[in-house]
This record gives sequence, structure tokens and C-alpha cells, in this order.
Amino acid sequence: MIHHRRIANTLVLSLILFFTVAVRTNVIAQNGQSLFNANCASCHNPHRDLTGPALYKVEERWPDKKKLYAWIRNNQEVIKSGDPYANELYLKWNKVAMNLFPQLTDPEIDAILAYVNSVPDPKAAAAAAATQGGGGTSGGGGSDNTLLFGILTLILAVVAMILLQVNANLKKLSDEREGLPALEPIPFWRNRAYIALVAIAFFCVGGYFTVKGAIGLGRNKNYQPEQPIYYSHKVHAGVNQISCLYCHTGAQEGKHANIPSLNVCMNCHMAINEYTGTEKIYKENNVEVNGTAEIQKLYEYAGYDPSVSKIWDPTKAKPVEWIQIHNLPDHVYFNHSQHVKAGQVACQTCHGEIQKMDEVYQFSDLSMGWCINCHRESKVQFKENGFYSIYQKFQHDLNSGAMDSTKGVTVEQIGGTECMKCHY
Amino acid sequence: MNFKIKKMKKLFIISLFSSAVVLFGCETYQRKPARQYMPDMGASRAYETYSQNGRPENQNFNYNNMPVSGTVNRGEELPYHLGNDSAGYSMSATVTNPLKPVTGKDSIETQRLYMINCAICHGSKLDGNGPLYASGKYPAKPATLVGDANIEKLSEGTIFHVQTYGKNLMGSYASQLTRKQRWMIANYIKQMQAAGKGSNATGSETAATDTSATGTGGGAATGTGTGAATGTTTGGGR
Repeated sequence: MIHHRRIANTLVLSLILFFTVAVRTNVIAQNGQSLFNANCASCHNPHRDLTGPALYKVEERWPDKKKLYAWIRNNQEVIKSGDPYANELYLKWNKVAMNLFPQLTDPEIDAILAYVNSVPDPKAAAAAAATQGGGGTSGGGGSDNTLLFGILTLILAVVAMILLQVNANLKKLSDEREGLPALEPIPFWRNRAYIALVAIAFFCVGGYFTVKGAIGLGRNKNYQPEQPIYYSHKVHAGVNQISCLYCHTGAQEGKHANIPSLNVCMNCHMAINEYTGTEKIYKENNVEVNGTAEIQKLYEYAGYDPSVSKIWDPTKAKPVEWIQIHNLPDHVYFNHSQHVKAGQVACQTCHGEIQKMDEVYQFSDLSMGWCINCHRESKVQFKENGFYSIYQKFQHDLNSGAMDSTKGVTVEQIGGTECMKCHY
Repeated sequence: MNFKIKKMKKLFIISLFSSAVVLFGCETYQRKPARQYMPDMGASRAYETYSQNGRPENQNFNYNNMPVSGTVNRGEELPYHLGNDSAGYSMSATVTNPLKPVTGKDSIETQRLYMINCAICHGSKLDGNGPLYASGKYPAKPATLVGDANIEKLSEGTIFHVQTYGKNLMGSYASQLTRKQRWMIANYIKQMQAAGKGSNATGSETAATDTSATGTGGGAATGTGTGAATGTTTGGGR
């Protein structure tokens, strides 16, 4: 009996001891993570060089752990003391001064280091995942009704021809029975009815393609050129939710929605040097794209080599010659800010669902009919919009109910279809 | 009879083949631009943004595509003279905001600018937890603009300086935001910090969001020690 109680006691005690230790280490790891995020993560990553070096197993690189503590609390003093490793480090990182952290205690630093060493290397994990998972195939095959309709038309045409032939044969048979003299069969290429039919068909089909081709001259709907760098709008604007106006600042300021200069790319890509998206990216011809290689292309244009210097020198950059997709002829004036800022039109109205396009194509045909149509249908955004305060009569009529506010005022009504609005 | 059926077969095969060519002959994507007829009105002879009539400086024109240094846009704030070095950084603390504090309609506009340009990294709540960092794509933690004593003690001038030249991994936003817009954003950040202090007194809200986002669960005090932070941000180089 006593024996049993003793065993139970030790068991309970050891369990308590075990849990305290487990919880204790857990608390340390948690503290380490929050301390790391609050103090270090702006400049350091466990596995990647950022503003400062990667911190994984940093204590093994320092000859003395006490020096490391001193360095973290006040790196300037350690440098001044003439420590060779500290000075070498300072020079290697372009004399970027590290912040001082005198408030960190030894256990806190230990917790940070423990956390840093517990973070798995994402590259190794990705490699492991790559060997495990097979490549997914891209789902293709959009349902297109044209093919179905074409086949149906063809079948019906064949049926009609067969019926015609049956009809002709029956007539011949009945003629034979009645004893009428059989006419010499006329081959179909000399049959006038056939010739007339084919001529009309040619006229219609040929005329359709001629007119369509003539209207389409200089129009670029669906134009999707291959750009010097595979830049996916889907990855940037869709998955990563970057606002269109982050890069195309000019759309709200002036005539052109500017193509971002390299420094805008480098705002993020100084640090993001590999594609880690879970979705694979493909070109239009289903060739898979290596996102990391495309970022390397950007670095080439920018003249940025992380292995030489972590600091980007913008004077070494040369512009990327992007291929212009949307282009209006010179005889028409179009201003982005007028539509984006004053008219409050969403980018997608004219450019399509750009956040879902890997490679951008021209969504609208940018024809005059398309412009005019939109001006006839779109309502002017009168509400809380200083740009239209001068239209006092409209404002007054809308407010007083003389005009149906649900229908609103179209762009046409304020002169949006006048010739000189765009052609001058 | 037989002769006719044979002919029909031939016709059928030909029509099937030609329709197949029409339907499958062209690719679904278009790599080449459309043909133009008399493009003399299409392309401008005058030099226009992104037009392809060559660089004027290569054609013996005296052309400088940058405005004369010191030029001030109409309605634009005066140029900022401090340089992009540690001396400029420490001097920037003394520069005062030439604008009035943003209020009313301006603050809506400022918030819009912040959401477009800054929130992607620094988060819509200014907690340094924007979508790019939260999704794990951006390796460095963006500065916690509200709730970090080291950031909160920076003056408006320094925030403007950092927006102008960038700091550490953050790039320069001078090409995206005008001086006026940068001052407006600096003021907005200061206002949000003041508002954050008010809510911090009731509960450590920012600390909670910080830890929950990184997945460690609540409670754990996030270092920095609001009062005890004597660490000075020495001029960080760039």
C-alpha cells in the first residue's frame, strides 16, 4: 500500500516537473520570438542577409559569447574597443550602424538566440517540399461555344445536302416511271443555282472579313506582347494586394499612368529576391516561369548585385524597355487623371481584371465607339466630388428631385460626346 | 448514285478540314500588334511620354529630361535641402512641417495615400504588419509605426526625411509622393501615434495584435519597454 503511494507521489512530482520545464522552454521561445520581432526583425532575418547579416547560429561566429552580448547592447563601444571581429563586421556591412539595445538582459538575448536557431531554413523546407510534391498540371480547356455551333451548322448543312440529293433521286425515279425522258445530269459546278449560292456565300463571308479587317486596322484588342521581364500583375496586384496606384502613381496625377521606374520595383525587391508564391506561374504558351530568375533579370537592369554590395546604387540602373500595349493615336486626347481622379472610374473598367492577368493584354479595343458608348452610359460621380461643383443646374435639379437621381446625369449630358472634348 | 455519294463524301471531308483550320488555326493569344493603315496620325511626331521616336539627346537636340535643379512646381512645397547621409538624418529632427495639421477632407485623402503607398508593408493599422510581411513574403519586419517607442519618438521631420530618402530596406518614395503628400503622411502617422497612446492606456492593444499575428498567442510582453527604451537610433547611414 505504502509502496504504491510512493510510486504515485513520484509520478505526480515528476509530471509536474516535466510540465514546468516544458512550459518554461515554451515561454522562453515565445519571449524570444516577440523580442526578436520587436527589436531585431526590421534588419535581421534568421536565414537571410538583409540590412544586417543572417542570425542563424550567430553565437558560433563570435569568438566569445560575452562579446556578443556586449555587441548587441552597444555595438559602437565594441568597435571602439578595437575588437578585430567587430571591426571587420562593421566594414563588411558598409558601416551601417546597428541600433543600441542596452535594455536587453542576458537571458533575453539567450531567448532571442534560441528562437533564431529554432527557425527552420525556408530554403531547405522548400527543397524538401519540391522533392515530395509532384508538379501540378495547369488546368486548361475553356468551354468555347463557337466550336459546338460550328459542328452543329456543319451537321445541319450535311443533312440538308443529303435531303436535296434524296429529293433529286426520287424525282428522277418518278420521272423514269412516268416515262419522261431522263435529262442529262448537270454536274454541280455548272448548276446555276449552286453557282449563285456559292457566289452569295463568298460575297457575304468575304465582305464580312474585309469590313472586319478594315475596322480592325490599328486596333489592338487582345494584344499581349512578351515583355522583357515576365512581370505578373496577378502576383503583385492580385495575390499580394498591392494597389494599382502604388506603381502607376501618375494615373491620378496626369495624362499618363506612368510605368514605374526601377526604384519603385526595388522598394520591395531589395529584400524580396526570390519567388516564394505557392502558385506556379505560366506563360501564355504554358511554359512554366521561374519567378526567381525573373527577379534576377530585374537586378541585372538595376545593376544590383547582392553578393557585391547590399546597398543598391541607382546610378548603375538602366531602364527596362517595356513594350507598350495600350496606345491611342495622336489625334485623340486622353487623360488618366480626368477619369481616375475626377471621374472615379475603376482601373478595371477599361483594363479588365488586371489583378487576374499574369501577362497583361489589351482588354478593350479602345475604339471611338467604345469610348462614346461608355460616355453615354456612365453616370457622373456628382456626390462629394469637387470637380463637378460648377454644374450648378444639374446639382440643383438632382437635389430638388426635378431630375431622377437614380438615373443620374450621364457623361454625355455634360458634353462628354462633343467632338472637341477629345479631338483638338 | 454511287458517283454522287463519292462526291458528297469528298465535299464533306473538305468542308470538315477547312472548318477545322479556321477554328484551330490561330492561337488564342496575340503577340504581335495589329496592322496599321497610314499611321501618320497614329504616332506623334512631337516628343511625347513613352513615344518611340527616339531619345532627343541622341539626335543632336539640346534636351534635358530633368527639370532645372531647384525648380518648384506650382502649388508644391519648397525643396528639401538636407542630404541623404547620417548628418542629414540627425538634422531632420529639427525640420518642422510647413503644412497645417491635416483635418477633415484632407485626412481622408491622407489616409488614402497611406493605404496605397505605406499600408502594404506597415499595415493598415500602422502596426508593421502589412499584407506583404504578414504573408511571409517580405523577410524584414516593417517598422511598427504605432506602439514602438523608438519610432514614436521620431519627429515629423525625420519621418519626412525617411520617406524622401528611404532607410535601411525601405526605399525612397520621392518619386511616388510629392513633398506635400509626404508631409501630409508624416502628420498622419503622428496623429495616429497620438491616438494609439490614448487607447494604449486602456489596454496594450498593439502588443496583442503584434503577437497574435506572429502566432505566439497573447499575453507575452513585447519587449521594448515603453519607458525604459534609452536606446538611441544612431544615424543609420543612408
